[in-house]
Amino acid sequence: MENKLQVRNLRISFRTSNGKVQAVRGIDLDLYRGETLAIVGESGSGKSVTSKAILGILAGNSIVESGEIIYDGRDLLKISEDDFHKIRGDKIAMIFQDPMSSLNPIVRIGRQLTEAMILKGKARQKESRTLFNTYLKNLNAAMIASGVNADEATKCCRNFDKFEFKHIELESAYNTAHEAAVEAIEDIDELAFELEHKSDKDASYHIKEIVKETKASVNKYVLEEDAEETAKARELAGMLKRQYSSCKRSRDFSKVIDTLRELGGILKKAVEKPVPNFFRMGYYLTFSDKPLPDMPTEKLNDYLKEYLDREFMTTFIAHTKRALIYSAEESYKNMDDAVEAMKSERGVFERETLDKKECYAACKALAEKVGATIDKLAITKDSLTFTFAPSLKSELDSYFAAIGNNKKAEAAHARDVKRYERLVQKGKKTGWEVADAAITDLELIKKNIAHLIDRLCEHYLEAASGRKSRNFDTETIAVIDYLKESASGVVAKVTRRIAKDRAIKLMEEVGISEPHKRYNQYPFEFSGGMRQRIVIAIALAANPDILICDEPTTALDVTIQSQILELINKLKEERHLSVIFITHDLGVVANMADHVAVMYAGKIVEYGTSEDIFYRAAHPYTWALLSSMPDLDTNEKLESIPGTPPNMIYPPKGDAFAPRNKYAMAIDFERQPPMFRISDTHCAATWLLHPDAPKVDPPKILVDRIARMTKVNRAGGQNDGK
Amino acid sequence: MANNEVKDEREVLLKVEHLCQYFKIGPGTYTKAVDDVSFDIKKGEVFGLVGESGCGKTTTGRSIIKLYNITSGNIFFKGIRISAGKKMYRDAIAKAKEDLKASVIDKAECDRIIAENKAAMKAADNDQKNCDRAYSRKLVEEAKAEYLPKIEAATGEEKAKLTAEYKNALRKAKRTKLVTQIQMIFQDPIASLDPRMTVREIISEGLIIQGERDRHVIDEKVYEMLELVGLVREHASRYPHEFSGGQRQRIGVARSIIMNPELIIADEPVSALDVSVQAQVINLLNELRDRFGLTLLFIAHDLSVVKYFSDRIGVMYYGKMVELADSDELFLNPMHPYTKSLLSAIPLPDPNYEKARRRITYNPLAEHDYSVDKPSFRELKPGHFVMCNEAEYERYMKELK
Repeated sequence: MENKLQVRNLRISFRTSNGKVQAVRGIDLDLYRGETLAIVGESGSGKSVTSKAILGILAGNSIVESGEIIYDGRDLLKISEDDFHKIRGDKIAMIFQDPMSSLNPIVRIGRQLTEAMILKGKARQKESRTLFNTYLKNLNAAMIASGVNADEATKCCRNFDKFEFKHIELESAYNTAHEAAVEAIEDIDELAFELEHKSDKDASYHIKEIVKETKASVNKYVLEEDAEETAKARELAGMLKRQYSSCKRSRDFSKVIDTLRELGGILKKAVEKPVPNFFRMGYYLTFSDKPLPDMPTEKLNDYLKEYLDREFMTTFIAHTKRALIYSAEESYKNMDDAVEAMKSERGVFERETLDKKECYAACKALAEKVGATIDKLAITKDSLTFTFAPSLKSELDSYFAAIGNNKKAEAAHARDVKRYERLVQKGKKTGWEVADAAITDLELIKKNIAHLIDRLCEHYLEAASGRKSRNFDTETIAVIDYLKESASGVVAKVTRRIAKDRAIKLMEEVGISEPHKRYNQYPFEFSGGMRQRIVIAIALAANPDILICDEPTTALDVTIQSQILELINKLKEERHLSVIFITHDLGVVANMADHVAVMYAGKIVEYGTSEDIFYRAAHPYTWALLSSMPDLDTNEKLESIPGTPPNMIYPPKGDAFAPRNKYAMAIDFERQPPMFRISDTHCAATWLLHPDAPKVDPPKILVDRIARMTKVNRAGGQNDGK
Repeated sequence: MANNEVKDEREVLLKVEHLCQYFKIGPGTYTKAVDDVSFDIKKGEVFGLVGESGCGKTTTGRSIIKLYNITSGNIFFKGIRISAGKKMYRDAIAKAKEDLKASVIDKAECDRIIAENKAAMKAADNDQKNCDRAYSRKLVEEAKAEYLPKIEAATGEEKAKLTAEYKNALRKAKRTKLVTQIQMIFQDPIASLDPRMTVREIISEGLIIQGERDRHVIDEKVYEMLELVGLVREHASRYPHEFSGGQRQRIGVARSIIMNPELIIADEPVSALDVSVQAQVINLLNELRDRFGLTLLFIAHDLSVVKYFSDRIGVMYYGKMVELADSDELFLNPMHPYTKSLLSAIPLPDPNYEKARRRITYNPLAEHDYSVDKPSFRELKPGHFVMCNEAEYERYMKELK
């Protein structure tokens, strides 16, 4: 599965007047495409800080001490604020805990919902255009380099460019009409249902919508312009309003319902018509002099396919494949070179004291070599290759800026020390202290550099081993799909009206009743649950890649919580969204998560699939969390966790949970436990898993519950709600 | 059921009859926040109130403690009517007048009805205003009976001391209100504590208002309460912001139990807290309940907590009580479709169960046909009430068997 986001060895602390608070102390996370990762822990365990670091919105007094967050071939901890603007909200969106403070109180809800859509719409159009153009240019270059006739290759690409946009235009016109028709059917069903039950609260609005949607669904392949049924549908839609107002008094809506049924029937037939292949049609319309032959859609599709294949597609596919193979071969060749270079240059970074000039020269050479290995035609970016050069450079920078290597820094430090001593001698109290000279661990930096190089070498070897199994036919298809996708981004315009329609649809999707009325209200007119739904709708409006949910349902009640979780799950499935879900409610986690990370005092203490965590929990903290919440069969006294989380200005020497842990052993107070691997997917940091540790059982309340749960599950997942 | 019979013998502490609470939102239009809700709470039990946000749970709690003047219905506490609405009487008068116009009843009958209802309105006003007076008068009598003979008997210094005590007790008795026997714990432990008052001031405020003047008595009581809720004496001089969420909620609990209440209305006391802290607060409330025999009205939306904590549960939906039963009974045999949908939404820490769980949606339009037969609150089996009409009643009875 594709790894969307990697967090490696992340350490964050905060400068406060009392000292440095170590909020996150070296965590590693992997987020895969289409998966939910839940981060669980008490408040103050560093879960929100982690998510804020991913989004680049850490507070001003924060220090990122080490680590990397790799997304889309970039390290999010090292990119500039400008670059972050393109990612934040668009690619990575966040739902905040407090809906009140994340909405603007003096701007109407509708405006807040559509604002980002409109702004992003324009930016996206531009971006897609550049993406499409650069890729096509690269493809063209690769084709020429692989030996295709230069003129032919250029013509090929240019033609593709031309008709691709025609195709997208045709298809999007069809899609709008089709969607409108489907929506009209939905509205009709809903209205008919309501009228049958003698409720007509929204009737006039629904009728308005139906008329609008019927009008919008006129398209050559949905409701044909001159066809008989189109005229009939129009007439029926026009009748609705009059009929409704005439029978409003008598409250006998049977006439309206009949009309609705008839209209619905026509639209349903229209929606089910076969879909022509617009890709082929686009080509035909662009390059053929003859008009489109008049024949049924299935036959037309076959005819167009033949035409396209004969004229263009076969050659284009062949050229593309050739270009892809060529580019991949080049890349492999360069990889070998890069590995060689790394082997020869790595000695420079392993000396006792590094030489500045030499190091930077080596860094530059390596960056060039590694940069050459990037396959420009690969669709998914290879993040390790992309981040190698910037990571290496930043490590070197921090090495040479450190005291001991840098004369300026040394002088400044000496000055500070002198000043401090002078003040102390005078008997004054200073509010500050001089930082320790050896605060930067030079050995650690050297180790990091070695690790960077090793990792890339390994990665190249791995890539080379997968060389044989690559299937260039499927890759060619993927490339064409990719081009289609970016072309559709260019055509997709977001006007104010489209944005409003989409916003209202989103509001409906997140369960806000009467969205057309709510659209023009202010945040204070919404209740807490409704406000949270708006926030979710705003986050989803940009159609992000990764969604971070920071306790989104903590303030909501069960039914709405359940609806919102279902909504997030549904969107996850539909859009292959990756979700990071932060919560302290374990019930919610069981519903949502594929993987769970339990955090305590800035560290991950247990990591596994949700089954691992709920049925085979191994860390005492996880036990405590699980047994402190009642479920529907709990009768005994709850086990609360005594005490409070440790003060992270002075993090404890051993296991941070030891003072609150009744299973704590002597070693827990002395040394931090490493991550013990329990199974392939499950690991936990507790000394209890050490082979020498005594065997302990989880709390009784938990054992009972797990026994009960497995029993119920064996009986077929019975549900007490049914 | 034997269990039920035992319960029935207990004294009814709070009785809510046809409580309606409407809020005016425009000329002639009202939001019916609570609409015709009736239930009673027996001494020593925990009554849970659940429902989605905006369904009127909190409004019910606030109406009981007289934070709102209720629109219609009666609330009895310890047998004394503490709140009375007047809308029902007004409606009766309007109906009588209409009937007179339609000549269903004659003039004499109409006048009689009007006079009767006007008298009832007057009584309601009186009770609404003066319910505390009767109670404090009773306390004054008690204080007199306790101290006067003693003062008669004592002499010299002893007498002076007793007189001072007597005066203090008398003042307290005069100021004591019946409603202070009902106390509330609020949802948000941050917003409900005044940031400019120390914990001592916050906790002792009620006592001082009640008329207690003796610093030592107040301090002692504050310390006692702090220790009771698991804090320490030193905390008394701190400010709320110095505490964590769970500790703040404990301060809220201490503030309410220092008044020695008989009934505590806990309005989502654990919703804003971490799981581990939640367990602490629930355990604390449980302990206090065992120790003082407290009665609780527990308002929450977390059903697993409500189930764990309550003896009986009322389910509310849009201002109406739709189902009321013993907590085990409710979870075993939910009858009303809304209750079913609510129960199907509870998340549990069990991934396999969660994957199989299907939420049942509740659509009142599709579920009920109340166009002809209006629903009412009916008892399906002892202690289990459901809002339904005749046809549904029969269907539910069949389902129960």
